Amino acid sequence: MSLDTTHAPVTSAAVPRPVAPSGARPVPFRGGGFRHKPLGFVGPLVFVALIALWELGSRTGFISPIALPAPSEAFAAFMDLVQTGMLWTHLEASLYRLVVGWTFGSLLGVSVGLAIGLFSFVRAGFLPLVSALFPIPKIALLPLFIVWFGIGEGSKVATILFGTFFPTVIATYGGVDNVDRNLIRMGQSFGLSWLSIVRKIIIPGALPAILSGFRISASIAIVLLVAAEMIGAEFGIGAYILMAGALFATDQLICGVAMLSILGLTISFFIGKAEKYFLNWRT
Amino acid sequence: MELMIENVSHHYGETHVLEDISFTLKDGEIICIIGPSGCGKSTLLRFIGGLEQPTSGQVLIAGEAPSGSLNPLTYIFQDFALLPWRTVEGNVSLVLEDHGIHGSRANAIINDVLARTKLADFRKALPRQLSGGMKQRVAIARALAVNPAVMLMDEPLSALDSQTRELLLDDLVELWSREKFSACYVTHNLAEAVRLGHKIVVLSRRPGRVRQIVEIDMPLGERFERMGELEETQRHLWNLMREEARAADMELADVA
Amino acid sequence: MTSTIIHSLAAITLASGVALTAPANAQEDTVQIGLLSLTSHAPSIIAEAKGYFEEEGITAEFVSFQAAQPMAVAIASGDVDFGVTAITGGLISLAERGAVKVIGGALQETPEIEGQKILVSRQAHEDGVTTPADLAGRRFGITTAGSSFHYMAHKIADAEGFDRSELSLVTLNSVPAVIASLRSGQIDAWSIVPNIAGGLTRGEDVVEIGVIADYVEDYQVTTVFTSTDIVENNPELAERFLAGFSKGVADYNAALVDKTMSEEETAEIVAMIHEYVYTDRPLEDADPAIRAGAMRINENARLNLGSVEDQMEWFKSEDLVPAEATVENLVDTSFVETF
Ligand SMILES: Nc1ncnc2c1ncn2[C@@H]1O[C@H](COP(=O)(O)OP(=O)(O)OP(=O)(O)O)[C@@H](O)[C@H]1O
Ligand SMILES: [Mg+2]
Repeated sequence: MSLDTTHAPVTSAAVPRPVAPSGARPVPFRGGGFRHKPLGFVGPLVFVALIALWELGSRTGFISPIALPAPSEAFAAFMDLVQTGMLWTHLEASLYRLVVGWTFGSLLGVSVGLAIGLFSFVRAGFLPLVSALFPIPKIALLPLFIVWFGIGEGSKVATILFGTFFPTVIATYGGVDNVDRNLIRMGQSFGLSWLSIVRKIIIPGALPAILSGFRISASIAIVLLVAAEMIGAEFGIGAYILMAGALFATDQLICGVAMLSILGLTISFFIGKAEKYFLNWRT
Repeated sequence: MELMIENVSHHYGETHVLEDISFTLKDGEIICIIGPSGCGKSTLLRFIGGLEQPTSGQVLIAGEAPSGSLNPLTYIFQDFALLPWRTVEGNVSLVLEDHGIHGSRANAIINDVLARTKLADFRKALPRQLSGGMKQRVAIARALAVNPAVMLMDEPLSALDSQTRELLLDDLVELWSREKFSACYVTHNLAEAVRLGHKIVVLSRRPGRVRQIVEIDMPLGERFERMGELEETQRHLWNLMREEARAADMELADVA
Repeated sequence: MTSTIIHSLAAITLASGVALTAPANAQEDTVQIGLLSLTSHAPSIIAEAKGYFEEEGITAEFVSFQAAQPMAVAIASGDVDFGVTAITGGLISLAERGAVKVIGGALQETPEIEGQKILVSRQAHEDGVTTPADLAGRRFGITTAGSSFHYMAHKIADAEGFDRSELSLVTLNSVPAVIASLRSGQIDAWSIVPNIAGGLTRGEDVVEIGVIADYVEDYQVTTVFTSTDIVENNPELAERFLAGFSKGVADYNAALVDKTMSEEETAEIVAMIHEYVYTDRPLEDADPAIRAGAMRINENARLNLGSVEDQMEWFKSEDLVPAEATVENLVDTSFVETF
């Protein structure tokens, strides 16, 4: 690349290899780190190690049984649930509330979010309302929910529905707002109909935001499960946890909390799959 | 089909962007628009494409679009504007679907335009798997699919490296030679302008006025071989531009 | 040392609702007293305001809680020294783990004083639930499993001779939620202390159909409890606390239950209680609410062991506490007179 090579006549002769002067050394490498390698086994390992340490701490009395029950006790509580068949009763009750509440909350949320994203009139009317209602802790409204929706499934589903509705609205209209304006211009310039632009450009463009909204709203739904099952729930993981708390049965408490956490992991796994499937076009 | 731009002026709020622009785009003619940054070239192109309306003046269409033209005024964007979630063929079929063209009829068109833009092997690829030049070729293929009467191109090659730009320029010339579409081509690159333009509209700094319209008679197909003869025109354009660009630069410096 | 840290950690995580966290080891003469915003906690308030604790060489500091359960946990962890609460499944469970001990009695049902009421919704009343015997097959509101409401509901079923399972218990987790459910007719029945019952029956939606005293004899509703640590290592502090507390009890009963105190002194006591109870209302409004339906608190913190035993039996019969739980583990009888 030096100047004289550019003046040299073009020949097909091999370029002579440079000879390294003595004392030449490799350039020091400084580019390592700051990059994540997939280390799939580390997560479970840390998990198992923590539980083993915890068990050890409980057995040696280092961790007082009042502070934390041993993991084996929590597991025993879990086996009790399995043997009595109550596990399915609780799971079924909770899953029903989660699925119905989350599905309707999300459907409504996406619809309202799209409307806010697409129509100035709706935005002007509803956005302040959404901003005003979102921060209200739904738990504070429980006594009112009892009057509005009753102590049956209504108030439980409603708690989860309201809890998931608002974050979905905000994620959705945020997603719509963030769709590349140029793509919309492109659609218009090719004379695409309004509906085509919404269906083929705006919704797919907002999908990443909507899906990450789902991730958040699913977690919120699980968090709200305990609150939802405060009202007249005989069965359900939340009701089980509340009862364990009231009786200070810490083994059952930890068992219930662990079930919620596993539920969360499972849902997050499925949303991850959905993201992989729907957003494979992302870099 | 002819396009007439008549006395177009435009303000964005306080900003006076365009001032009394008039020229005519004839059938099968390529007009290049050059001018300093911010003088309103993109804005003017949006008026021509009907995506925005000028404060005063109008853009008129004379004559019928050739039959079979699905979208007479078709845009090609600087940033390609491909849907990242659709494959190459999906991006092309997007603009056909709304015209009720599906199945084998769509397939035939897609095959044809992808062959013309040398993309046949990349039918199933997603935009993220393509190089910049290929993406712009997809955008051109998409434009060709609707059989445009006028192509509106806003710096279509400026996001590409210079080798790719040369290749695509050749492609455009070849496409034009096969099918004499008319085009409005906005660019900053004077070499592009003299390679493609039958007429070159030079705009002044903002508010953009027509400073001069330079005509080049040499047939497009011969221009690559006869670049030397175009040097003179290019230098002339540069002289026109230089003062405007310098003045525009000074104005910006004042603002800063 | 380490276990203290872990205890404190547990308290921070479990005792949600602690308004003020105090050092785990109180100084010799400073004690942390857990307080719920209820009139039945008044003796401690009076004892502090009138200097009865000071006479015993105790500086009292109050820690407010929203519910009995976190208070029990805070006492177990040593963050709070003394508290008053109903005997609940949680309390027995903590006692079984050697963390807390009941050392005296507080609120008790007595024949001559108006006690807890059995309430039904207007709707249920019109449906024919006019006596507690009609409660079979009805929805009875409770806060949590193993709460005093749960116990009372079953005592009614036992005495009226229908199966406990015929009462459908609805767990609502908080008193406001139970009230909302009862008033809107979502549940049929509930039982509660007279001053809350009075407020409800004054309205249209709720009707009184009986009293708990008919079903639970001399019900020891609440007890005084402390940490096992204090009972074992500092019993003398517990004695001094109980002495001061008892003087507060005497004043409370004299002023609000037996009404033998002069009006002037009574008003003074009401004002003291108002510092911590019904603080959201001005004194004029709070005054009648504080006076209404005051229930007797046992003189000298005497404890009705018979009632405690009955409650323990019930907890065991319902599997709400470990089968091996005993009254001995729950109560230390060396501090007060029991009967
Ligand atoms: N939507 C808009 N609202 C307000 N001002 C605008 C808008 N679009 C463009 N402008 C302003 O109008 C002027 C012309 O913009 P335009 O994009 O047409 O310039 P241009 O000639 O294409 O510039 P460049 O060569 O840098 O692409 C600029 O000053 C710009 O800031
Ligand atoms: Mg531009």
